[in-house]
Amino acid sequence: MTLFHFFNCAILTFGPHAVYYSATPLSEYDTLGTSVKAAVVYLATALVKLVCLATFLQVSESEVFDPYQEALKAMIGFIDVAGLYYALAQLTHRNISQNHKFQAVGLGWAFADSVLHRLAPLWVGARGLEFTWDYVLQGLEANANLVFTISLAALGSLMWLRKNKPKSLIPIIYTCAVIIATMPSITSYLKRVMGWHFPKIVGFELVTSLVMAFISCQLFILCQRPSL
Amino acid sequence: MADEKKSKQRHRVMVLESMYPVVALMLILVACVELCDAATVVDVYRLIQYDISGVPFGSRFSSLNHHAASLSFQRGADLSRSVLILPLRELDIGFVQDYISQKQSLGGLLILLPQTFRPGNVGGGSQSSENDGFRNLLAQLEKLLVHGNIPFPVYFAFENEDTDAMLADVKKNDALGQQATATTGGYKLVISVSEPRKIASPTITNIQGWLPGSRADGDSNQLPTIAVVASYDTFGAAPALSVGSDSNGSGVVSLLEVARLFSILYSNPKTRGRYNLLFALTSGGPYNYEGTQKWLKSLDQRMRESIDYAICLNSIGSWDNELLIHVSKPPDNAYIKQIFEGFSNVAEDLGFQVALKHKKINISNSRVAWEHEQFSRLRVTAATLSELSTPPELLENTGSLSDTRQLVNEDAIIKGVKLVAESLAKHIYGHQGKDIKIFADDSSLAVNPFYVRSWLDLLSQTPRVAPFLSKNDPLIMALKKELEDYTAEVSVQHESLDGSFTFYDSTKASLNIYQVASVTFDLLLLLVLGSYLIVLFSFLVITTRGLDDLISLFRRPPSRKVKMA
Repeated sequence: MTLFHFFNCAILTFGPHAVYYSATPLSEYDTLGTSVKAAVVYLATALVKLVCLATFLQVSESEVFDPYQEALKAMIGFIDVAGLYYALAQLTHRNISQNHKFQAVGLGWAFADSVLHRLAPLWVGARGLEFTWDYVLQGLEANANLVFTISLAALGSLMWLRKNKPKSLIPIIYTCAVIIATMPSITSYLKRVMGWHFPKIVGFELVTSLVMAFISCQLFILCQRPSL
Repeated sequence: MADEKKSKQRHRVMVLESMYPVVALMLILVACVELCDAATVVDVYRLIQYDISGVPFGSRFSSLNHHAASLSFQRGADLSRSVLILPLRELDIGFVQDYISQKQSLGGLLILLPQTFRPGNVGGGSQSSENDGFRNLLAQLEKLLVHGNIPFPVYFAFENEDTDAMLADVKKNDALGQQATATTGGYKLVISVSEPRKIASPTITNIQGWLPGSRADGDSNQLPTIAVVASYDTFGAAPALSVGSDSNGSGVVSLLEVARLFSILYSNPKTRGRYNLLFALTSGGPYNYEGTQKWLKSLDQRMRESIDYAICLNSIGSWDNELLIHVSKPPDNAYIKQIFEGFSNVAEDLGFQVALKHKKINISNSRVAWEHEQFSRLRVTAATLSELSTPPELLENTGSLSDTRQLVNEDAIIKGVKLVAESLAKHIYGHQGKDIKIFADDSSLAVNPFYVRSWLDLLSQTPRVAPFLSKNDPLIMALKKELEDYTAEVSVQHESLDGSFTFYDSTKASLNIYQVASVTFDLLLLLVLGSYLIVLFSFLVITTRGLDDLISLFRRPPSRKVKMA
């Protein structure tokens, strides 16, 4: 009975990744290798982040929002961005168009993130008799995270792979990238200082992710046009 | 062709066989469903399960895995797969009686007791009328459950916030007519313990302390002995909660205090009396005082014949003005008259009354209602000092759920101790008729109220059902050590509780309360997720490849056979 719930939450958490891969032209061009490489880069980035966090961060018992600690966490979060840069720019991929490259990298990145952060709690927790909404919300968060990562990958590819960008759009690109990169800090600020509960935070993440996706999509399309 | 088929079959069989360990591993992984992550865990105490000469009594089952239901269920609903939660405050005895007598099937019964009956709870000393009402109700319920044969598990638990919240939820759902089953969600109560097993050869332990008197020079006769006896074990509906503060914690505490006072007197050879004193803490009280009988039979015959008389203490903790002395020899017997006069004189001095009650022993009836009857059957003069006026029935007044610390009045015990000590002293030192108080207050021989209180508190937190006390139980060791401090010789006698009583273990468990969602909810969620993924798929296909591609997915590819032809 409870395995049913685990199955439901699993398809909510990991289904969209598979659907994204099969629905878009990614599957036609066989970009699985790129996604796998991106996942491996994510793993390495996660390890580096873990070591940095363990070294520099002090664990506080209370749920107090410490600006210094949060700033430190945000700085370490930029290691994520560095990892994404490495995956996008430095890894040699087969000849796939830039359009598909960022999607494949984003997908692999988001899938590795979901598996690492959400599979273990799901396996251990969702199979018990007790029912909570936590795992459904976690799945929704995974969805929002997927959209965020793909948007970030899109902006990243605009920043590092495209040479001719309209001057006016550059600051917007960078602002959006910064916002997406610091999402973890923003959510933790909301949780601790404003006292929002998990459902509210997940709702906020979903809305923001759609907004960001829309903005980055528009930016991408605008940058497609040959510069004047 | 046949060879090909055979090889194919063999290949298939080999593949299947190699799959078995993988399948087995998957099944094991799947079966590891965690049941220990409940939101709420509550300590529960099981109803006693015992047989008398093979006739079963009490609750015969222990494990539980059903949905919760409350009293607001619809009449005629099927409760055979539900656990009924009954708070004591809203208990209807008639309802429970009907359920048991009509042998209706029930998944289980959980009785919620108010916190005031918890053994460690010493607060709220004043007895409100509400508590009295609960005590009566509880006594009735206990009698019903202990003497009935109940084919489902019965557990007692104490009310707390979690149970209150759960009960309120369950009542709300039941009132709406949605009884909790597998398809409608609700609360699930799980107690996972193994089936109860018989306790093989339960032991009863008697502890005796011997305080010798002083022999005059040249006197070679055996000194007479006076015995003070109290049984220390209990029996109640929930063995893990049977602390028996009044029955017979009060008796044990009084015996220990009398022993302490006389040990002070006897430690100085000048004040040592010409009587030996024998203090005995017996077990097996609820079972027709089997322990007392075995202890008496094990005594040396000379010692038994030297006993002048024995005083048995039974429930002397909650009386006001009158104590009763129960005897089995007729009241006009010279010995009995002497004992009674001694006691009533002292009582008059102390400001209360004692009355004499006579009950003949029926030799053909195996029921032993008072402890002194075991002495009388072996021709030893004995009397029982008690606040109870009628002889208790079998397994009654032996430490029930309502017999908690709050029921006992320390002052009553202190008065009882003074009565016994002064009467014994008058008899031993020959001060009958004289107005001498040996154990006066503010003297070095005063009754120590702190001693009484601390032992009473300890006994009120220790369940003492004899079959569940091992030979070296900490309580037995503590009582033995205490008597060793006050008497010269202590001996411990272990006997097995034979005869007609058989007991089963598993008295305490942990109840896990889970909030479960129904199967329909899971199906609904699956439907929603399935449609979400399908919509997502279509949306992505349309935006990235175009609508035509989506439609072409559903069109069958042209058949290859046509092409090849």
